[in-house]
Amino acid sequence: MSTTESETLVSGIDQTGGDFKYDVKYDFDAGTGLTDRTVDYISSVKKENAWLREFRQNALKTFFAKPLPTHWATRDLENINFDKIRYYLSSGQKPKRTWDEVPEDIKRTFERLGIPEQERKFLAGVEAQFDSEAAYSNIKDTVAKQGVIFVNSTEGLREHPEIFRKFFGKIIPTGDNKFSALNSAVFSGGSFIYVPPGVKVSHPLQAYFRINAENFGQFERTLIIADEGAEITYMEGCTAPKFSTSTLHSAVVELVALKGAKIQYITVQNWAPNVFNLVTKRGVAHEEAEIKWIDCNIGSRLTMKYPGVVLKGRKARGEVISIALANDGQHQDTGAKMIHAADETTSNIVAKSISVGQGRSTYRGVVHIPKHLRGCKNNTECDALLINSNSRTDTYPAITVRGDANFVQHEASVSKVSEEQIFYMRQRGLTEGQAMSLSVNGFINDLARQFPMEYSVELKRLIDLEMEGSVG
Amino acid sequence: MPQLEIKDLHVSIGDKPIVKGVSLTIQSGEVHAVMGPNGTGKSTLSKAIVGHPDYAITSGDVLLDGRSILEMEPDERARAGLFLAFQYPSEIPGVTIANFMRAALQAKLGEGEEIDATAYYKRLYQKMDMLKIDRKFTSRAVNDGFSGGEKKRCEILQMAMLEPKFALMDETDSGLDIDALKIVSDGVNQLRGPGLGVLVITHYQRLLNYIVPDYVHVMFDGRIVKSGDKSLAVELEAKGYEWVKKEFAA
Amino acid sequence: MSTAAPSVDAPSVGDFTAERFQRHLAELKGAPDWWVTRKRAAYEKFASLPMPRRTDESWRFSTLTGLSLAAPESAPAASVELPTLHDVATTARLSFIGNRLHQSSGLPAELVAKGVIVTSFSDAARHERDLVEAHFMAQAQRLGSEKFAALHAAFLSDGAFVFVPKGVELTDPIVVGHAANGQAAFPHTLVVLEENASATVIDLFGGETPLAIGANDLYAGHGSRLTYIGVQNWAPSALSFQLNSTLARRDTRVQSLNLHLGGRQSRHESLSQLQAPGAFSEMLALTVAREKQEFDQRTLQVHQAPNTKSDLLYKNALLDSAKTIFSGLIIVDPDAQKTDAYQSNRNLVLSENAEANSLPGLEIQANDVRCTHGATTSRLDPEQMFYLRARGIPPAAAQQILVFGFFEEVLNRLAHEGIHAALRGLIEAKFRE
Repeated sequence: MSTTESETLVSGIDQTGGDFKYDVKYDFDAGTGLTDRTVDYISSVKKENAWLREFRQNALKTFFAKPLPTHWATRDLENINFDKIRYYLSSGQKPKRTWDEVPEDIKRTFERLGIPEQERKFLAGVEAQFDSEAAYSNIKDTVAKQGVIFVNSTEGLREHPEIFRKFFGKIIPTGDNKFSALNSAVFSGGSFIYVPPGVKVSHPLQAYFRINAENFGQFERTLIIADEGAEITYMEGCTAPKFSTSTLHSAVVELVALKGAKIQYITVQNWAPNVFNLVTKRGVAHEEAEIKWIDCNIGSRLTMKYPGVVLKGRKARGEVISIALANDGQHQDTGAKMIHAADETTSNIVAKSISVGQGRSTYRGVVHIPKHLRGCKNNTECDALLINSNSRTDTYPAITVRGDANFVQHEASVSKVSEEQIFYMRQRGLTEGQAMSLSVNGFINDLARQFPMEYSVELKRLIDLEMEGSVG
Repeated sequence: MPQLEIKDLHVSIGDKPIVKGVSLTIQSGEVHAVMGPNGTGKSTLSKAIVGHPDYAITSGDVLLDGRSILEMEPDERARAGLFLAFQYPSEIPGVTIANFMRAALQAKLGEGEEIDATAYYKRLYQKMDMLKIDRKFTSRAVNDGFSGGEKKRCEILQMAMLEPKFALMDETDSGLDIDALKIVSDGVNQLRGPGLGVLVITHYQRLLNYIVPDYVHVMFDGRIVKSGDKSLAVELEAKGYEWVKKEFAA
Repeated sequence: MSTAAPSVDAPSVGDFTAERFQRHLAELKGAPDWWVTRKRAAYEKFASLPMPRRTDESWRFSTLTGLSLAAPESAPAASVELPTLHDVATTARLSFIGNRLHQSSGLPAELVAKGVIVTSFSDAARHERDLVEAHFMAQAQRLGSEKFAALHAAFLSDGAFVFVPKGVELTDPIVVGHAANGQAAFPHTLVVLEENASATVIDLFGGETPLAIGANDLYAGHGSRLTYIGVQNWAPSALSFQLNSTLARRDTRVQSLNLHLGGRQSRHESLSQLQAPGAFSEMLALTVAREKQEFDQRTLQVHQAPNTKSDLLYKNALLDSAKTIFSGLIIVDPDAQKTDAYQSNRNLVLSENAEANSLPGLEIQANDVRCTHGATTSRLDPEQMFYLRARGIPPAAAQQILVFGFFEEVLNRLAHEGIHAALRGLIEAKFRE
């Protein structure tokens, strides 16, 4: 492995946020390519029980058996070379509880990304994953004392099987799709969270996922259970340095909101343009519970992600707020799934995408209201903004409604930045680029405001960076 | 003589009580005005009287000519002679005003009776002329794409066609410019007479310069807190609702 | 799942065997060579293509088990009722029974003199070869029914041909009746409008048939105005395909309205290509779905040139256990700047067992465009119901007024009062069933 730092770091200007890389020595490495031995290696390193080994091996079979979903998805998926990917890399199994204990080379990365600082400022807990394993994991004492569990997936399944096994792989079964099967075979890291009945965690818990190694695949697994009446906000950020070869990120995230619980799951990811980001996210909302996905996708070569909510209990609510920005050579294929399974359930989807240069953004949605349900409502809004004359956007919703007691509405629009608006701002002395950035930020402003303040500031900065060079 | 009697009426939306005991009697030929700040239950009162399913009457009664109407369906109440001029009339694309009014008049007739088309159109045009509504409107869909003023004029047109015993006018002045307000008021004034009782609901005294009431009631927090003649409206205009709030806030 | 049935990918021809095709050719006396050659190619294509599969995106939500090519035909009926539109004056009428020309009436002599042609497809194939060859199924099928379109092209024996030369404007419609007589039906209508011509063409479909595959080609030349109306009213046992193709040249206005009433399972595919600036295609459809009927509608609005416009409005009313699928796609090609495209699907569900599926899609590759789509599925609006009842109208009457209002919004787009009234009459009849 090369030991040089990336060029952007040498130049000293942190223009692109996550695009830097420190060299790290890995103690555990499953090698390149995927066989049943790879899976065994991961199980052994993690000292897993027999049931989990078997779960992984079965998942691997399912992964091999399933074709790529190119009958509806882009053929770019065929460019993933599963034999050239490294499936497990780590420097140790147990995350550190203080930053001082984190190995220096890894700590530098997270310091540069500002994680310890954010933790001090406004977080209830942090987990920082570096390639396959969490390097750091800590939860504030006050929150831990309320009985909140916040650990990584290995610890969760080992230390608290009575809580996590019941739901693990139940919301998103292994065979849900080819990539959920892959994750089920080789998963490592990710957060397992349990919030006891009635506990309302006032500050967010945060996870940070960092890919550091080239040709690497990151497969974290997250399961969040909010018990009756509990409330939790979880935020995840993701970055990777730019490599010339492709990197794979394929997570599975399962949420369970029991009666009256609320889960808010916020993602801001800014992947490097070589990353295939193929993520399955789904939650189950029980009676009067609420699950809200707030999802911002920037970067990556191809993102395919359709957060879903199964509205299982009466009066459950589901929401997906999605922002996607596709720049040159990028395809943001995102959307939402709302499966209504009880009376008086409501769902709301607002998706806004921005295509820059030859970037392509796609919205795919499923809204399903089966027979004999009453009083269900869905509202979907998709707006696409095309910046350049060769930018591209697609919209492919699928809506099924049975029965005469429900209401579903879908609206989509495509537009470009108003020339009048740009002219107006330039007359006030802004450059065309500044005007364009302002205009784009205006387009997503109502959604950006739903992010916590620290994230919405970051979001604005990321969009400004992406908009640079889009005009002229 | 026809009479609309509201007796200690309580109305809730969902679990929330909005109207908390209103009593009011309107004789045919009278014009009553109910005034009050926003959110005191004025509109709720009118919607509940005509039987909107979202408004639950939890106690009290409404009597038309001595007979309770609370068990009647909304269309039965309408045929019995109650008319609500909606604050926000529904838009009904694809249904022309002419067909709509005809269906409403037809519904009042007995089985086997048919409306005489020539007489119907003659009357419709006459009322439209009175309200300065272009005759082309007969083939436009009900309220569909109408301006605020057009919607309100269309409400008065329906009132003129249906000839109710009692008309409830819910914020009919809202969204009207001075010209439209004058046309609408003129229309109502022409319909005034011994056979019609009117309940005007309004936030502003302005409308009452045009439709001069016989009685004025001030509503606050779901109750009528003060009643008087038209001078009460003038007093309210001068002193503002703060005066009422201070006096009656519990 | 794992029965020993042949692979789903194996091409199936059902009752339409090679022998039957040979018999069909033998019966088709006097067909010109070019047509026979096209027919043979079509049959080969039909036989080689697989039946739709569950994983085909273009068949998402469709009931594939209903797509049988082997439904029993009955002996040709002795007498058949011709579908008609009442009280509509016509420029000319053509009628077909069992794929054969039955009657052809009255194109006024002065229009004949101006060069207008209204004749049978088989006649035109002989005498207007250039026009027919150039426009007959000229637009490739791409919405999923390629196999069925090929079957249509192979077995088509007659249909209508309408040609309106440069500058000629026809005020009254040309009405074409297609009556099935118990046999499989393959009706076809080909319309060519030259520069600045205008015409209205109405296709009426009715009668008993196990399988009907109808197709049309609408070609609107520079500056022309074409109104097309299709009324699908097959008997309740029919599996119906209706494949519509519109090519709109510069500064044209094409309006099409399809009324879907009949059949057991009906697939409607409509493609509009806007090929030159100023082209405008208005695509309208109304469906009344009852009992266990399935109506499957797939549309494509392709904007190939700048400054083109399309406006689609498909409305479905669903009763009983009926099912509808609307899948629409607007494609804006990379250079088609200043495109104005609209697509709207409204489903009115009037029964608790009905199912409405909606797949409104966009693929946009130009940025200076106005493209919007919307889909709603709901019951009657309770506020509208209340408003009507507050005027004294009883619930049943109020519901009827609102349902017809729902359809009127589409019918109002028709300029021709007589056609408007006749179509409303057909919808009312379906509700009275």
